[in-house]
Amino acid sequence: MTALPGFRSGSASPRSVLTRLRRNWPAYLFLLPTLLLVGYFAYYPAYIAVTRAFTDWDGLNPPTFTGLENFQRAVADPVMGQATTNMGIWVVLGTLLALVMPLIVAELVFHLRGQRRQYAYRTLFVIPIVIPSLVLLLVWGDFYRSDGLLNQLLGAVGLGGLRHEWLSDPHTALYGLIFLGFPYIDAFNFLLLYAGLQAIPEDVFDAAKIDGATGLRRVLRIDLPLLRPQLGLIAMLAIIGNVQYYISPLVLTSGGPGYATTVPALLMYQTATRDGEYGYAMAIAFLLMILVVVLTLLSRLISRGNR
Amino acid sequence: MRGGVGRAGFTPGEVVRQAVLVLLGLLALFPLYFTTVNSFKDRVQYAESLLNVPTRLHPENYALAWAQIQGPLVNSVVITVTSVLATLLLASLSAYAFALMDFPGRHLLFAVTFALLLVPDFLTLIPLYVQIRNLTLPSNYLAIILPTVAVGQPFAILVLRAAFEAIPRDMLEAARLDGAGHLALLRRIVLPVSLPVLISVAIIRLVPVWNEYLLPSLVLDEAHRTLPVALVNFQGGGAATAVTPNYGALMASYVLSAVPLLVLFAFLMRYYIQGVTSGGVKG
Repeated sequence: MTALPGFRSGSASPRSVLTRLRRNWPAYLFLLPTLLLVGYFAYYPAYIAVTRAFTDWDGLNPPTFTGLENFQRAVADPVMGQATTNMGIWVVLGTLLALVMPLIVAELVFHLRGQRRQYAYRTLFVIPIVIPSLVLLLVWGDFYRSDGLLNQLLGAVGLGGLRHEWLSDPHTALYGLIFLGFPYIDAFNFLLLYAGLQAIPEDVFDAAKIDGATGLRRVLRIDLPLLRPQLGLIAMLAIIGNVQYYISPLVLTSGGPGYATTVPALLMYQTATRDGEYGYAMAIAFLLMILVVVLTLLSRLISRGNR
Repeated sequence: MRGGVGRAGFTPGEVVRQAVLVLLGLLALFPLYFTTVNSFKDRVQYAESLLNVPTRLHPENYALAWAQIQGPLVNSVVITVTSVLATLLLASLSAYAFALMDFPGRHLLFAVTFALLLVPDFLTLIPLYVQIRNLTLPSNYLAIILPTVAVGQPFAILVLRAAFEAIPRDMLEAARLDGAGHLALLRRIVLPVSLPVLISVAIIRLVPVWNEYLLPSLVLDEAHRTLPVALVNFQGGGAATAVTPNYGALMASYVLSAVPLLVLFAFLMRYYIQGVTSGGVKG
């Protein structure tokens, strides 16, 4: 076959870089819009964030270099301490929620008889995606109000004594936000696990059946080990996502009461937008980014080490 | 095919499984039920009970809600549609170059685009806000469209590149011999052949863009405000002024904000499912 100009092909004869550059100028033209946008709206702000973390900056005037001052402040700040604890609780519980319910549903749907039945139930659990995420937040905010659904239900079943100002009580506010969104069946995670189950070869199941591994035993011995890549991915995304997450405390509690629902990412946001301390905010963002990078690398290492 | 034993399965186990699934499915859909029934109640009916279907309906709540969110709804549609189309357009060009062209720096440039996935959103949010505030854009819509397109590039390019690479090379080379240029190849062969993948990418990207709250709440002015920002403002406005909000109208606005995605998913659900399940993880 003839090697065509401008095409990738294994048999291409070696040409000089200059010729290839000239020949392939359309490639650079094709990439230009993407590179410009990504450079200006993603890499440049990231660069600003990282460099401004070492400065005193109000977002308007030129920043003044202050070295590690912002970081020292962040480490010593008791509010950061509580925020970090809150984030830790959130990451652990949030990751469990992201794994458990989608896994149960994926198992149940996968073991239904008949393709059509499986398809119908699979669709059922994707439909809730049409509810805008903010609507879900706001509706749950209403559920938690003193005259809201949760308290009405408690009253109706004779547990009126448990009635509560769920998001105004420092003891329940954080958990209220974490456990928002029952029954926690994320469509994306569910589909990922379902596809993982489908990818398991038929003979593995047959062999398990012969060995007498059925029901829960099969789930534990066969399904879970074989779903490791999917479970690992979901766990990694959930951990990283929960480290960064702050929309529900921002919208529903502003981090309160006190600092009961404050997380570092929210603190970063409020420090910049409310207090105008952009330099300090970027230092918090910088620390969070380090955490995200470390977690990503760690999960990479773990999943590679297990292969 | 597994499970293709027919529909005769009504064993006890099967019945229990289905019952649990139906229950969970209904619970997952409960917010839709809750907002819909309460969107037809007046204040008194709402205070009386939250769960029943009202005996007397108050459709005028929808007129009230519509008057409030009409503007933001249109803004959201304009921004989402433009962002997603622009994301696909730019990502197609880049994916074509990465998949089908050979040029010096290919691996480096691909790494540069792809590494963007490692830049977390919270890191760039505040600098982006400052940057856009100081930038004179021809339209306020662009303040949200341009960054959103940038953020969507790595995922779209990754999926499209794989799809483009899978196109039979003979097909492309035949057209190439007929004298078609790269743009013509992209337009006449690559894009039409990849249509299902393009739809999948579009609908997977569309959901987060439609739901985006943080950056729009910071950079959009009142006239260009999107739906999530407007919804939070209604709710907050009610609490701040200590006036009990008109829940019926509020719930009606929630229902209206779910309609566009509902319509879209009614037609394109299977592309979403296919996109997530086929693009899934391998080892």
